[in-house]
Amino acid sequence: MLIEQCAYANRWRRVSPAAKALFALSGLVASFAASTPMAAVAVVCLLAAVTWIGAGVPVGRYLRVAAPAFFFLATSCLSLAFSLNLNSDGQALSFQLTPAGLQKVDEVSGRSLGALAALLFLVLTTPLIDLIALLRRLKTPEVLLEIMILCYRMLFVFSDAVHDTLTAQSARLGYATSRLALRSLGGLAANLTVQVWQRAHDLHVAAQARNNDGPLRFLEPTFAHTGRDVALAAAGGSVLIALAVVLS
Amino acid sequence: MHIMEGFLPIEHAVGWAVASVPFVAYGIGSIKKQIEANLEQRMLLGVAAAFTFVLSALKLPSVTGSCSHPTGTGLGALLFGPAAMAPIGLVVLLFQALLLAHGGLTTLGANLFSMAIVGPFAAVALFRLTRRLRLSFAVSVFIAASLADFLTYVTTSAQLAWAFPDPTGGVVASFAKFAGIFAITQIPLAISEGLLTVVIFNALARFNPQELKDMNVVNPPEVSA
Repeated sequence: MLIEQCAYANRWRRVSPAAKALFALSGLVASFAASTPMAAVAVVCLLAAVTWIGAGVPVGRYLRVAAPAFFFLATSCLSLAFSLNLNSDGQALSFQLTPAGLQKVDEVSGRSLGALAALLFLVLTTPLIDLIALLRRLKTPEVLLEIMILCYRMLFVFSDAVHDTLTAQSARLGYATSRLALRSLGGLAANLTVQVWQRAHDLHVAAQARNNDGPLRFLEPTFAHTGRDVALAAAGGSVLIALAVVLS
Repeated sequence: MHIMEGFLPIEHAVGWAVASVPFVAYGIGSIKKQIEANLEQRMLLGVAAAFTFVLSALKLPSVTGSCSHPTGTGLGALLFGPAAMAPIGLVVLLFQALLLAHGGLTTLGANLFSMAIVGPFAAVALFRLTRRLRLSFAVSVFIAASLADFLTYVTTSAQLAWAFPDPTGGVVASFAKFAGIFAITQIPLAISEGLLTVVIFNALARFNPQELKDMNVVNPPEVSA
């Protein structure tokens, strides 16, 4: 996963997650506060520049992570830009490009890109395990945290199983035609489904063997300079929000 | 299909999040009860969430030739029950936003409502209905899984239409536009997902009948293998 690689390998890996989350939150607020395209572009550029230059995330990788979201934005904006006229007399349906629609596209795409840049800043600089630790400090229900921890740890186990099964099936021409592909995929998913119970049972036995029946706690990394980082993030975030408000 | 980060206006984003809260709270409550009764359940749900996440990353050969990803809402709801799917769905959607930049934090509530609440409840209701109508197991699974997928996409289109009504045609025209554009990918996907879920249940019935019986998905006499 590209995001995971960046999250562990960027320059701001050791910066307090609370500070990074605060800055990302300010980015979200700023992108919702920016009401003109000019302000939105400024917010997007600033957030992207901080991620590229500050955290040292490669630009190519950044754009590859954002690509699927661009696809969603493009198709949705297409339907925002064109207005559908259901009651025209001659034809049953007619489409027209309206100025109001185009204005809406400007507004929505500016806001979406700003919010996306804020999200990417957070996820490309902060590993998920740090974010889960942050959620624990924010008093998230223990049941949800437990599901998250187990989900995160089992994710890679399942990915590995999927990868191995796909390789074995492909080697036997399991994906040669779309009919075979559906059959192979069904077999793969059924196999994984059974593994859900087997692996959960194994984890349960392992936990019982260690007398664990309560929360799953792990050592959490400590971050030096948390206070300084949070102060810097608050200052940066305020600048971002002020910029969005002033330019609007 | 996930609504991207920041796409919905703030009132809609907050509104959908508030609408999802009772379902998640109810789900967490029911999970807590299950864990108290049977401690093994706590591991099961985490593993199930990872399974759902990995499943949603698989590439599904679609009827039109394009590749899509299954949502897994129908399968998950039939296996784990609709109430448990809200918290599992919350974790999966959060992970998709944080690990794949797919969906987003501000649109988490709206996506959760369409994928982890409407889809699973529709799947289970349809499955029970079709079973009561004495349709075969395979047909029931197909209808439940494909219509759950389809209703998820209809809900997403309705959410978008409500947030962005057409200047001349209003919400109805806007719904027609969004639903029309997404139909190109979503209808073939719903059919493929229905077929895939049937293949999965057939494989399970053939190789793991005991597990299916334990989950109360089928009545014991129906599994003959």
